[in-house]
Amino acid sequence: MKNIRNFSVIAHIDHGKSTLSDRMIQLCGGVTDREFKDQLLDNMDIERERGITIKSQTICLPFTAADGQEYALNLVDTPGHVDFSYEVSRALAACEGALLLIDAAQGVEAQTLANLYLAMENDLEIIPVINKIDLPAAEPDKVAEEIEEDLGLDGEVIRKCSAKTGVGVQEILETIVTHLPPPEGDPDKPLEALIFDASYDPYRGTVISVRIINGTLKPGEQILFMHNKTEYRVEEVGQFYLTRTPQKSLSAGQVGYIIAGVKNVADTKPGDTITHKDAPCPAPLPGFQEVQQVVFSSIYPISTDEYEDLATALEKLKLNDAALTFQKDTSAALGFGFRCGFLGLLHLEVVQERLEREFDIPLILTVPSVRYQITLQDDTELTVENPSHFPDPGAIARIEEPFIKATILIPERYMGVVMTLCMERRGENTNYHYPMPGRIEFTCELPLAEVIYDFYDKLKSVTQGYGSFDYELIDYRPSDLVKLDILVNSEKVDALSQLTHRDRSRERGLKACESLKEEIPRQMFKIAIQAAIGGNIVARTNVAALRKDVTAKCYGGDISRKRKLLEKQKAGKKRMKTVGNVEIPQSAFLSVLKSEQ
Amino acid sequence: MSDFGLYLHIPFCLKKCPYCSFYSLEGRMDLVERYVQAINTQLRFCAEAYRNHLRPMTSIFFGGGTPTLLPAAALSRLLSKCLERFSCADEAEISIEVNPATVDRSDLAVLRQAGFNRLSIGVQSLQDAELRQLGRPHTVADAVDTVRWARTAGFENINLDLMYGLSGQGIQTWKTTLEHALELQPTHLSIYELTIEAGTPFARMEEQGTLFLPDEDTVLLMLEETQQLLMQAGLQRYEISNYAQPGYQCRHNINYWQNGEYLGLGAGAVAFFNKTRFTAIANAEQFCARLEKGQEVWMEKEKLDREAAFRETVIMGLRMTAGVSLAALTDHFDLNAESYYSDTLHRLIRQGMVRIVQGRLQLTAQGFLLANTVMAELV
Repeated sequence: MKNIRNFSVIAHIDHGKSTLSDRMIQLCGGVTDREFKDQLLDNMDIERERGITIKSQTICLPFTAADGQEYALNLVDTPGHVDFSYEVSRALAACEGALLLIDAAQGVEAQTLANLYLAMENDLEIIPVINKIDLPAAEPDKVAEEIEEDLGLDGEVIRKCSAKTGVGVQEILETIVTHLPPPEGDPDKPLEALIFDASYDPYRGTVISVRIINGTLKPGEQILFMHNKTEYRVEEVGQFYLTRTPQKSLSAGQVGYIIAGVKNVADTKPGDTITHKDAPCPAPLPGFQEVQQVVFSSIYPISTDEYEDLATALEKLKLNDAALTFQKDTSAALGFGFRCGFLGLLHLEVVQERLEREFDIPLILTVPSVRYQITLQDDTELTVENPSHFPDPGAIARIEEPFIKATILIPERYMGVVMTLCMERRGENTNYHYPMPGRIEFTCELPLAEVIYDFYDKLKSVTQGYGSFDYELIDYRPSDLVKLDILVNSEKVDALSQLTHRDRSRERGLKACESLKEEIPRQMFKIAIQAAIGGNIVARTNVAALRKDVTAKCYGGDISRKRKLLEKQKAGKKRMKTVGNVEIPQSAFLSVLKSEQ
Repeated sequence: MSDFGLYLHIPFCLKKCPYCSFYSLEGRMDLVERYVQAINTQLRFCAEAYRNHLRPMTSIFFGGGTPTLLPAAALSRLLSKCLERFSCADEAEISIEVNPATVDRSDLAVLRQAGFNRLSIGVQSLQDAELRQLGRPHTVADAVDTVRWARTAGFENINLDLMYGLSGQGIQTWKTTLEHALELQPTHLSIYELTIEAGTPFARMEEQGTLFLPDEDTVLLMLEETQQLLMQAGLQRYEISNYAQPGYQCRHNINYWQNGEYLGLGAGAVAFFNKTRFTAIANAEQFCARLEKGQEVWMEKEKLDREAAFRETVIMGLRMTAGVSLAALTDHFDLNAESYYSDTLHRLIRQGMVRIVQGRLQLTAQGFLLANTVMAELV
């Protein structure tokens, strides 16, 4: 056990976590150059394109240290976005230490802090690593000062590297061996295994990533998921090298996987404790939470005959993404679809992109909503996250909406614009302090509904990319909520309805009308677009009638080509949704979701 | 017996016009002799190979490019070769496109003598500034001369090509051009709205904002003025862009819009017979090389199934004011348009885009403005 090190790399988005991971894998000989693909651990195309990790992966690196001994370094990869902070916390709980990766040019950011706090809560030993020292704008000494003085971390341990060029990476591996403690635990005690992730293998079912805290686990044993209260028989245990490698057993201190005939990833919950059925540990490990969906949106296939395909695709995604929930939904405008729950807006976007990309199903999404708590006049309580289930306003006694505490880290000069942004978004109880000179950590309580809309984009734009943001849900507060409907040529388009605060409704309505006007192509007749609350029109605009659409020349040589153009035009029409007699393209539905640019 | 056309393509141009996206060869006059030779070979080959599909030609059309970059004598020889190889109906319409400043009095006489009986003159504009803008290598005076000489040479059936919706063009300048054109007493006018085709210099200029195209209102007004002025002058609109005195509609083009059969010769030319559309390789050099080696020049053959061919015939026919005969469609395709299109058609009728008059499906005035939108429902 003394030759095991379990660690994570925590970093702000884009600070080079995946690149560093790849470099360490390469250095430890886990992969040949031929196999080397940038960002090995980021499997999904979307992850590679956006440079973020969504699904964490773990790998065991065999490393011969300067002391001549062979070590097993378990790198537990973590997702790097606010939507996934619970997943991050469970991954951290599986480790004794963490590399805190900081960009030499960007310095400390909000997520760096948030992740550092998470690491500290889990009592992890921290090795600060300053990355990208090869950049012209790198200021490693200044960043080192920030780390020492502002974060209060040990300056002696700071390592500098360029994950891109490989400079300094060997030293980091040595530091992991010398500075991080080996795991503790007793292989002879009752089994306590922490689930920190799960993924789906089409042949083997769920592959559960675990950290064995105490005890030993072998194939053939009966295990119990303590929170789920389900039992399975272990088929295989092993460790993650570049591929899964079966082992005879896993014991205290080790990180590895379990295959136990668990059909759905959703049947395993990150943070749950696995123990032996016959000799259970006295209590589950602390820190377990049920994953909570906070953003909801309905997903419809553009073509109604793709509903079955969408259902299958969601089932498949769900296999690997336990945080996604969905149930049937219907819309007069869009037909059959699914109401889905997400951890946050990024999670939503990732699911949308995967459905379109991996399953090739063009989609329409409805405006994302949070979950409201509504009390009716007769004291019935209900939760509503779908505008179509919004009760008659006359029957409502009270509505409450979720609030978050946002932590925003910005250079001082952006204080004004960020304050304004938060106030526009109905922010309350703002507070700030200087965690380091020239930087402000600004906290503010905001309705979640205002944040899921386009807050992060806005923050990025008003701070020219310097603002970073993290949030946690705090409580529910009373809200004056209304349902905003969109009418196209007097027909209500149910899929465009949204729940919004009364004070924001006119603005939202106006924006929706304007977006639709941009995206709905001119048609044979004038199209009136209106936004309404109940019978009250709050915004309106028109799409003028198309007046001219004719090809001047068409002779013998052009007939095929011109016909094909018309066929294309026809196919384009087919992809639109017809509401009344108006054809509405997918882009129009999406434009209502997007923030104004 | 329905019509059968012969089209002969001559791809050479002095200079490529900045709005043109058609296949043409700038310069390359060195290829002319070889090309003519290749056409002769193709003529011989087609007359033999398609013997069973051909009928007496009811129209012949020499188009381009700029056919008149070839000497009049060469064009005459080409025509006589055509007439030698293929039988020709009595009173066949034999047209050739000519560009001002590429022909003189005697050339036109030679062409008339050879048997051409219809001229299509690429006038485009009767404003010198506009001609320069369009990159046309001729002047207004050249165009007027060409028309006058054509008459002297014995051409009675004369079409002028004109364009509107040009950069900087106002309604008044357009009217002036039209009036001036009518003074030349053409029997036929082809009047095209300038279309910005992707990949052309005009497309790039539009992107850069250096093209000042008139707004939609102005363009619509220009079209309205056109129809009114031409109506008064006795030229009736019979297709989206074509107007003629009674009896002078272009028979060759009507055959296209009726989805009739035709043979096409030359690089990039298209032929349509035996329910198949053939497209020749659109590269003059390779076209020649293939014929020299006795290889096939058709790069594409398209055979639509019955329903697709039916729909194509409908949309092509709708380009004409006369529209398309429902009875003829039923005869030809064994499909009844009214039941085939059912709801879509009835909606379009309700929306005032199409109508059925005396057994013919036609676009309404409104439908003509939105022809593509309508056709995209019927294609």
